[in-house]
Amino acid sequence: MTDPVVVCRGVSRTYQQESVPVHALSQVDFTVYPGEFVSLSGPSGSGKSTLLNIVGGLDRPDEGSVSVDGVDLGELSESKLAELRLHKLGFVFQAYNLIPVLSALENVEFIMQLQGVSPVERAERATAVLDRLGLADMLHRRPGELSGGQQQRVAVARAIVSEPVLLLADEPSANLDSSTTKDLLELLKQLNEEGMTIVTATHDTMVMSYALRQVHLRDGQIEHDDQVQSA
Amino acid sequence: MKLLFQLSIRNLCRNKRRNAMLLVAIAVAVAGVNATNTLLRGYQYDMLESAINNLTGHVKVMAEGYVDDPNVKHSFELSSEQLPQLPEGMVVGWADRLRIPAVIMSERETRGIELVGVDPAKEDISFIGEAEIEGEFLQGADDGRVLVGKELARQLQTSVGRRLVLIAQGADGLNRERGYRIAGTFDADGTGLEKNYVFVGLSSLQALLETQAITELSVRVDREEQRLPAKSALRAAFPELQVKDWRELDPQVAEMFKFADASLFIWFFLMMGALTFGLVNSLIAAVMERVKELGMMRALGMQNSTVLVQVVLESIILMTVGVVSGTCVSLLIYWSIADGIDLSAYAEGAEMVGVSSVLQPVLLSEDVFLVAIMSIILGILASFYPAWRVIKIRPLDALRR
Ligand SMILES: Nc1ncnc2c1ncn2[C@@H]1O[C@H](COP(=O)(O)OP(=O)(O)O)[C@@H](O)[C@H]1O
Ligand SMILES: [Mg+2]
Repeated sequence: MTDPVVVCRGVSRTYQQESVPVHALSQVDFTVYPGEFVSLSGPSGSGKSTLLNIVGGLDRPDEGSVSVDGVDLGELSESKLAELRLHKLGFVFQAYNLIPVLSALENVEFIMQLQGVSPVERAERATAVLDRLGLADMLHRRPGELSGGQQQRVAVARAIVSEPVLLLADEPSANLDSSTTKDLLELLKQLNEEGMTIVTATHDTMVMSYALRQVHLRDGQIEHDDQVQSA
Repeated sequence: MKLLFQLSIRNLCRNKRRNAMLLVAIAVAVAGVNATNTLLRGYQYDMLESAINNLTGHVKVMAEGYVDDPNVKHSFELSSEQLPQLPEGMVVGWADRLRIPAVIMSERETRGIELVGVDPAKEDISFIGEAEIEGEFLQGADDGRVLVGKELARQLQTSVGRRLVLIAQGADGLNRERGYRIAGTFDADGTGLEKNYVFVGLSSLQALLETQAITELSVRVDREEQRLPAKSALRAAFPELQVKDWRELDPQVAEMFKFADASLFIWFFLMMGALTFGLVNSLIAAVMERVKELGMMRALGMQNSTVLVQVVLESIILMTVGVVSGTCVSLLIYWSIADGIDLSAYAEGAEMVGVSSVLQPVLLSEDVFLVAIMSIILGILASFYPAWRVIKIRPLDALRR
């Protein structure tokens, strides 16, 4: 088997809420292999986002170790973590989180600019990705002029444009109606079939149904971890 | 960089009202500082001008001992009619003079004065060359008449055409006495000069004192900065003589001159300090409004340093636009007062301290440039704190807002 993309070992994360400790994650072992499409499910407060954020290098565990693409995140400085997120990870957040003053195209280009991609290549790749996601006519619209579904597509475009090793999506469908959710999931499925590794945190059964592996969390622990037979 | 720049501009356009107000404030402050600078410089240059005009020149050559005991014994002879070689194009003019203490008497009054033997043709470098004369100016170095100040004439209760008696010590230590007719009376800025100086033709005075010598050689250069090179050139040319510049000869004015320089800075920092306070607050508001967005960008992998660059960029853009418009406004102000501000309403006091009654603003491009550069540097510094405020918030916490 190939090397895993994500390895979490004995990961715990405790938050202080008004000096009461809340165990968001306790002793979680979690491994993701290339090409997987994993959904993290569970009731609200079960630790889905916390796990996703730790895997994404946005939060650090109090205990345990996390490595992404063979790199131990615990050893990285904040600045190196940011670099890793920039080059190896793609994020899709619950709210579409686009930069409101930039057009769809510029939003996608912006991330590549941070990566130091040349302007010509930037424009080419951004146009190609948006085109592919059915947004060819929307390149120059600002987020405010796009529907929720379109904005989330731009966010996906931004996340995948630099071909990350892992795509992380936290409640990607939370602000979408069921038909746009379905479109988005078809898109994710297609990306996964092309080899993109995806981990999504969700409590939406429709999202779960698209995942090939369903990890269920409860009270900060993995309750069950099921491989789904792909149809 | 282009995208970052665009982003900054568009972000600035988000809150047009706040930023427009800030721009106006920057422009007003810059214009105010520049306008004040031109007036302060005007005052300073006026002071310099009167110090130099005051028979001092930029640099003066004298015999050893003359400063402490201004006497015909402390004199020297200028061998040729040619000024010793000084750097090309530097010297505007020079004058040799014989200046000694003397007593002047009219039928009614007696006064102690300084008697100055001059070659009138060379005195375009001093105040007397430009002074308003009632009667006649001296006609040449051998003119045996005197030119007295208006105030002195009033005190001596005499007038043009009448005679005065002068008593001065000759080179042999004996007093000479001679009657002089008044060729004219001069009007100077400040009655001090009018009371103190009596002018007479140089050769005529030398004849009276039975000497060929002079007591000073006054040199005027083109620009203030040339003062020091001129001084060292003259030192080399007259190794046995004392060579002093106006700052040494008139230390009080030199102090005032330095003080005016310092005032420019103090004023700048007062105005700009207040402005920076506003700028910092406004930038904090601007970044805090976008804390979520900036958090998202940082979550995606934008470095904290890039956040800083972005805030700095916005601040620089604001400052630059403000400074440019402020500078334009100050040029307009300058042109509208370039002919000088007439202070004659308050001139009574001004003339007393030797300042002319028309304040001529002076616009130095260095000053304008310095104000612009320092404002922009201030703008950069002002963006550090707001940037630090957002960077301090973890991306995750920012996203959750
Ligand atoms: N920054 C935080 N400060 C305090 N408590 C937090 C913080 N983030 C998460 N928690 C707590 O940790 C637990 C797990 O949260 P989270 O991972 O967001 O759950 P989920 O995404 O499954 O709804 C919850 O009880 C939540 O209140
Ligand atoms: Mg969550």
